[in-house]
Amino acid sequence: MFGLLARAMLVCAVLAGALAAPARAEDAFDKIKQRGSIVIGVKNDYRPWGFVDPSGKIVGMEIDLAQDIATKLGVKLELIPVTGANRMEFLNQGRIDLILATMGDTPERRKIVGMIEPNYYAGATNVLAPKAAGLKQWSDLKGRKVCAVQGAYYNRRVSQLYGPELVVFPAVPEAMSALQGGNCVGFLFDDTLIVSTLSAGDPKWKDYEMPLVSEDPQAWAMGVKLDELNAPFGEFLKKLSVDWHKSGTLIELEKKWGIKSSPFLQEMHEKYKS
Amino acid sequence: MERIADFFRWLNDARGINFSIFYDALDRARFLEGLWTTIELSLICTGLSLVIGVVGAWLQGSGLGVVRKAVQAYIQFFRNTPPLVQLFFFYFAVGNELPHVLDAHGMLVPPIGNIGWAILSLSLFAGAFNIEIFRSGIEAVPRAMVEAAESLGYSRLGVYWHVLLPLSFRISLPALNNNLVNLVKTTTLAYAIAVPELLYAAAQIWSEVLNVREMMNVLLVTYVALVAVLVAIMGRWERALRIPGYSP
Amino acid sequence: MSELPVLLAPRPLLSGGRDPASGLFNGTVLASVLVALGISITIGAARAQAGVVGAPGVATLLVKWAPLILEGFLFNLLVSVLSMLAGTILGVWLGLTRVSQTAMLRRAASVVIQFFRNAPWLVLLFYCMFLLPFSIALPFATVPLPDVAKAVIGLSLPVMANVAEIVRGGVQSIPLEQWESGEALAFSRRQILWMVILPQCLRRMIPPWMNLYAILTMSTTLISVVGIQDSMTLARAALVAEGRTDLFIPMYLMLLSWFFVYCYPIARWTAVLERRFRVRI
Repeated sequence: MFGLLARAMLVCAVLAGALAAPARAEDAFDKIKQRGSIVIGVKNDYRPWGFVDPSGKIVGMEIDLAQDIATKLGVKLELIPVTGANRMEFLNQGRIDLILATMGDTPERRKIVGMIEPNYYAGATNVLAPKAAGLKQWSDLKGRKVCAVQGAYYNRRVSQLYGPELVVFPAVPEAMSALQGGNCVGFLFDDTLIVSTLSAGDPKWKDYEMPLVSEDPQAWAMGVKLDELNAPFGEFLKKLSVDWHKSGTLIELEKKWGIKSSPFLQEMHEKYKS
Repeated sequence: MERIADFFRWLNDARGINFSIFYDALDRARFLEGLWTTIELSLICTGLSLVIGVVGAWLQGSGLGVVRKAVQAYIQFFRNTPPLVQLFFFYFAVGNELPHVLDAHGMLVPPIGNIGWAILSLSLFAGAFNIEIFRSGIEAVPRAMVEAAESLGYSRLGVYWHVLLPLSFRISLPALNNNLVNLVKTTTLAYAIAVPELLYAAAQIWSEVLNVREMMNVLLVTYVALVAVLVAIMGRWERALRIPGYSP
Repeated sequence: MSELPVLLAPRPLLSGGRDPASGLFNGTVLASVLVALGISITIGAARAQAGVVGAPGVATLLVKWAPLILEGFLFNLLVSVLSMLAGTILGVWLGLTRVSQTAMLRRAASVVIQFFRNAPWLVLLFYCMFLLPFSIALPFATVPLPDVAKAVIGLSLPVMANVAEIVRGGVQSIPLEQWESGEALAFSRRQILWMVILPQCLRRMIPPWMNLYAILTMSTTLISVVGIQDSMTLARAALVAEGRTDLFIPMYLMLLSWFFVYCYPIARWTAVLERRFRVRI
């Protein structure tokens, strides 16, 4: 019995030592080229940026951008579905190399994740509500139940400024189902999703609207590890981002996926065309 | 109290270990509210599931075959399907179909909110187990007691309520306690339908403050402590009711 | 012991119910589930007719999405098998430690078992998903730890604790005479445990172990809450993609009935085995 115990303790000590050893600091760029594939975290419940089609494949505007990155790097593309609540953890654990998942670029997040500039899109906060609710301004939300999704950067701000009763779900499908069931008076989310949902022509959203004025405009950014921001990988992505704006790729993709033309992209295209 | 808050603030600034619930009033309030909701949820569901258990065990002794089969179907359905799917089924599917009512703002809302559905679903889930537990306790009471009570003029309901249940309670208690502990652990499922219980509160905090590591540890320790306290109390009650040399 | 005036002789609590319905399938229960599914589909179809003309019927939609969700369901089953395997191996070891002669080992095992039995399964799952590293750097290679592996580890921890309890209960139910006979024949403690005690209590441990497997299978749906694609996430994605409120009840009922069809036979078989292995004095 003692022999078994001693052997068990030895194995544990070896494992503990191995786990405590610091990870080798390898350049992400080289690692990706060596591995022959890039792992990108994308949304799979945010139409039309990243969503699931009936065959189970993830498709969307961000997936097209991800494919462009992989092609330019000459590697295979691997997509991992992420949510607002876990994308930064996954990146820092090394599970994904890049976040391309409708991530808002906020100062708090810049402390944890490296944001690639120029930003590739911009959204703002708004609410998807039934017309019958008769919401006119943000202060109408006070004390009302509002569905939201975990990990969104605007949840705290909206709940502090306007005092709604936030009902926070783990993911978008639940929040939308709850809204349709009448469990809340509106769905707090990024206005790009709301606009694309309303303009898709789906009959079930016929009686819904986006009544409030979009607030808190927030640029979206691709996210890399902080120490990769100024390394070859980060530089490559920054150049690629400029290229996307210059060549009008983003505006084309916007049209392809039926997203309402955004003034932010027009501005950036003008700025970089020269 | 202030010194504890200062210590944790220092811990965050100096070492980057962020236990925000100790120094931030908002986070602490949210956490404690979540804890209280979990306790409330557990108590209400326990009470309701006990009622379901007692009523169900009674119905199982009914003379009508269809009633017995209905109870059996209910038990087997709720015991052999995942409680998470049951919860989603009730909240999203059944809740949608129920006739909506007008609320204070003139909007059509479902009659039962998410907390209501969580209570209903978890009680039905635990109640199915309770029926079985009560029934096996009742079967440990000899037929002679039932006959004696009947000869004293008790109706069938009277025999059940005044003779069978009290005697069988002693036998059922260990299994009932096990069920109660499982119920407390199962309340975490309500997180998926946005019921503001402890896991939900912790998830809110770590989504905003970004201190996942610390909050997960606090959460784990809190739940283990809560359940340990419950197990200790129930264990003492069991020991008090135990007949020496009798336990199966 | 003989009967008390007010209580019959003690009998262990049987899991799975002592319903006299024989065989593996209780026709009534299956029939009622299928009837419920049929009713909801019919209602859904009637609603669809009243609403948008030309919209596909509920049954068509269910059939369209069923293959994808079935894949997810098989994934759930895979996770359950892997967790059960891992949990059983660890649990047997932990259970034997729990009955060891060294007091310190016994106490340590007891603490570990109590800890993992007290913690909610979902919290343990969250813990493993967030806090386990994505790869383990061993001296000779780096072993990647995908999401699934973390979920399997997370689910195997409570399984380990419960298996340890089952093993402890089994070992402690063997009468002292067996141990004494073994000692009289000059077996070492380890030999007695492996050659005399465990073979005897193996039969006794199988019904609660199968019960645990059924509970585990139902708990694999928790992995959808921590973001892994399984039958639940796919069902939800399908519902959002279709967006028909009359599809909700049939879809969830379909998923419920799949789990039922898998877990109910296990429960019945457990009851049959329990009755067969019941210790008759």
